[in-house]
Amino acid sequence: MSDDTPFQRDYADHLLHEVIAGRMTRRQLLVRASVVGLSATLVGQVLAACGSSTSSSSSASPSSAPKAGGTLKLTMPSPTVAVDPTTMYDTGSIAIAQQVAEYLIWVNNDLSLRPVLAKSWAPNADATVWTFKLQPGVTFQDGKPFGADDVVATMNILLNPKTVSAALASFQGILSQGGVQKVDDATVAFHLDQPFADFPYFVASTNYDCLILPSTFKAGTWQSNPVGTGPFKMTKFTAKQGATFVKNPTYWQKGKPYLDGVAVSFIDETQAEALALQSGSSDAMLTTPVQGAQALFSDTNLKVLTTPSTQSRFLHMRVDTAPFTNKAVRQALAYTIDRPALVTNLFNGKAQIGNDNVFSPLYPLAPTTIPQRAQDIAKAKSLLASAGYPNGLTMNLTVEEFEEVPQYATLLQAMAKQAGINLKLNQVTVTYYYGSGKTQPWLEVPMGITDWTFRGVPSQYFLPAFTSNGVWNSSHFKNAAFDAAAKGYDTTLDEAKRRQYATTAAGILTDETPSIISYWINVNRAMKKNVNGLTSDPAEFLDLTTTYLS
Amino acid sequence: MGRLIARRLLLLIPTLLLLSVVVFLMLEVVPGDPGRVKLGPYASASQVAQVDHQLGVDRPLPVRYVHWLGGFVVLHWGTSWNQGVPVFSLTMQRLWASIQLALVALLIIIPLAVVLGVTAALRRDGVADRVITVTSLSLTVVPEFVSGVVLTVLFVVFLKIFHFPAVPPAGAGPLTRIYYLLLPAIPLMFVEMGYIARMARAGMIEALSMPYIRTATLNGLSRRRVVYGHALRNAMAPTVAVIGTQIGWLVGGLVIVEKLFVYPGIGKLIADSATYKDFPVLEATVLVVATIYMLSNLGADIIVALLNPRVRYGR
Repeated sequence: MSDDTPFQRDYADHLLHEVIAGRMTRRQLLVRASVVGLSATLVGQVLAACGSSTSSSSSASPSSAPKAGGTLKLTMPSPTVAVDPTTMYDTGSIAIAQQVAEYLIWVNNDLSLRPVLAKSWAPNADATVWTFKLQPGVTFQDGKPFGADDVVATMNILLNPKTVSAALASFQGILSQGGVQKVDDATVAFHLDQPFADFPYFVASTNYDCLILPSTFKAGTWQSNPVGTGPFKMTKFTAKQGATFVKNPTYWQKGKPYLDGVAVSFIDETQAEALALQSGSSDAMLTTPVQGAQALFSDTNLKVLTTPSTQSRFLHMRVDTAPFTNKAVRQALAYTIDRPALVTNLFNGKAQIGNDNVFSPLYPLAPTTIPQRAQDIAKAKSLLASAGYPNGLTMNLTVEEFEEVPQYATLLQAMAKQAGINLKLNQVTVTYYYGSGKTQPWLEVPMGITDWTFRGVPSQYFLPAFTSNGVWNSSHFKNAAFDAAAKGYDTTLDEAKRRQYATTAAGILTDETPSIISYWINVNRAMKKNVNGLTSDPAEFLDLTTTYLS
Repeated sequence: MGRLIARRLLLLIPTLLLLSVVVFLMLEVVPGDPGRVKLGPYASASQVAQVDHQLGVDRPLPVRYVHWLGGFVVLHWGTSWNQGVPVFSLTMQRLWASIQLALVALLIIIPLAVVLGVTAALRRDGVADRVITVTSLSLTVVPEFVSGVVLTVLFVVFLKIFHFPAVPPAGAGPLTRIYYLLLPAIPLMFVEMGYIARMARAGMIEALSMPYIRTATLNGLSRRRVVYGHALRNAMAPTVAVIGTQIGWLVGGLVIVEKLFVYPGIGKLIADSATYKDFPVLEATVLVVATIYMLSNLGADIIVALLNPRVRYGR
């Protein structure tokens, strides 16, 4: 029996119309339907009505039936500080916490949403109130039953300025303290500060600090007393060395996890991780960047899974500082770039080209009508001439020493030279680039390359990075038309209008080019061939619920 | 000699004090912020300031230093800012791990270097001498991360003789530990061989050129007795001194080898605490390593004095 609200049924009709009119693909429909919380029955009805089959388009079927037992040996970078689910930000800490605690919703690799601690959800008519029904029969690992009180308490911790959680910034303007209310033990309602069509992503895994903790949780105690509803219990944690997990016998998904346990070793150098995998002392690596692990991609004893992601590097140019005040100069640099060459040279092809706007091709509403920028040296030169630099000019680029960023800058230097742009590189450490309390170079230097991790929705990029009041607006971009399109995109549930707003916003970014976005990097995960039920993850997250060893 | 030792031990104190001030000031200058490390790049400046205040980072420099020093001298080394674990146990654990690796390395290096150096000296200018000299020098200049990776790929991936990462399992006995640590010890051997073998060779050549050697030979002592009974002891003095200076590096300076072999030693702890601005850990580890360095130099000098009585009495 479907318990969709009347609004959801109307919305399903709306989606159906969009698909029939050819403005929406089946895949986009599935993602949108999951965001608005339509039940499987309703989705099936919509698909049938537009002549599609209901077969799942998701991951490949396993080669053998899941086998229970065994311990997975996994390597990952060391958590930089003591693991605290409400303030964590690095890959290692997040992967550790995600084994023990869970989110309301998990974001799949295609950006559709999978219910976890939230069984179903629905918005009201203008997307200002989202009501979540919680999963019944769930207990925390210490036996305490899970319910609405825990969700409210966790959200209030994150929304509290005293908690110093980075999640606070992601909720800004959307949800504030007091907005999360218990309706009954199994229902929570989120009252938003403004309509927000993509709100479920903000309480999903993509907002990685939102792991649900018990209402009795005390800040700063997690590493010594790891709590959560998740599939594994952490039995041992040695700083900078490793952690041991065992299967949670009271896990609410019956029959899972298949593994008896997980043995995690912390290894900071990619090269060392790769050697550990090749030598057989580990079964899988959390994440396999191309740099430092090239040998693994051609190793026939291993498999390397890859998934497109929205991980990227934004090369910002401060629009309020010479010579970048003239958009012709910014565009000129963008036209010197041979994007496919970057993808081949930096990532062995495991990346997708970008078009200087935040709508990665992975997003369902990514506009398809904006012409892809390609290398055009003649055009770059003429743009520079029109801006008053017929003989080229010198630019200072601050480069952080992070993964492939220095190589990117070096390749860029060679490309830009062809148009007469002399790029001077200033290489700094990551710690320096992100700065101390008073100076944050990444927000102040005239030209810099910043790494951005995976974001589930484009708003999580364009709101902080490109709106006039954005907190991480390195390019100091202030454009009223863009702000309006951005706001429209988030606040309306009409799919046709959202697509228009997306096209407008993307078009403005590509034209104005406050940042050059040349590529979107795939996330790779290398493992032994006998590891099954583990996919790569665009955010480098670790979901071992269905993993088994054959 | 007792006075010599006492004087050297007393010198430890002002040296360590000065070193602690230098480390403190350097950490001030290096960019980065403990609050930012804890919260990541996406936290706001005011949130970072809150954490900094909790850690006491916003207090004036001299206040912070004196407060730290007061705790340090009574062995209240505090808690790691990054990991939240007590600094004392963390440092000692890592130190012990590094000492084990250094011991295994010395176990291979010393006999090998001495044998090769002496052999080269005895067969001076011959084929053996040339081979030993050139090989050891060439291996010295190979960086540890290159030799380490090549050795790992060869011995672990292809031949499957050794284990990677080179961390002995908890509770392993001494022989197992030596087995695990042989792999990381080999790149260290490459680096040290050139230096120590050549010192042994030079020392041996000088000792063999002394007049008393000719006297002993003319007196009818066997070659064996002359070389191993008399010359060797005098030849070892410079070698021992050199080994003493290298022990500090072998214990506290192996950042690259520790990172590559994922070995939880104190060198990597120093590097990490400097990068992530973990002040209590950095001070403790640097001072501990400095102490080891000075004690090992002192130990080497004592051994030299024992070998050569003339040094003992200050001649």
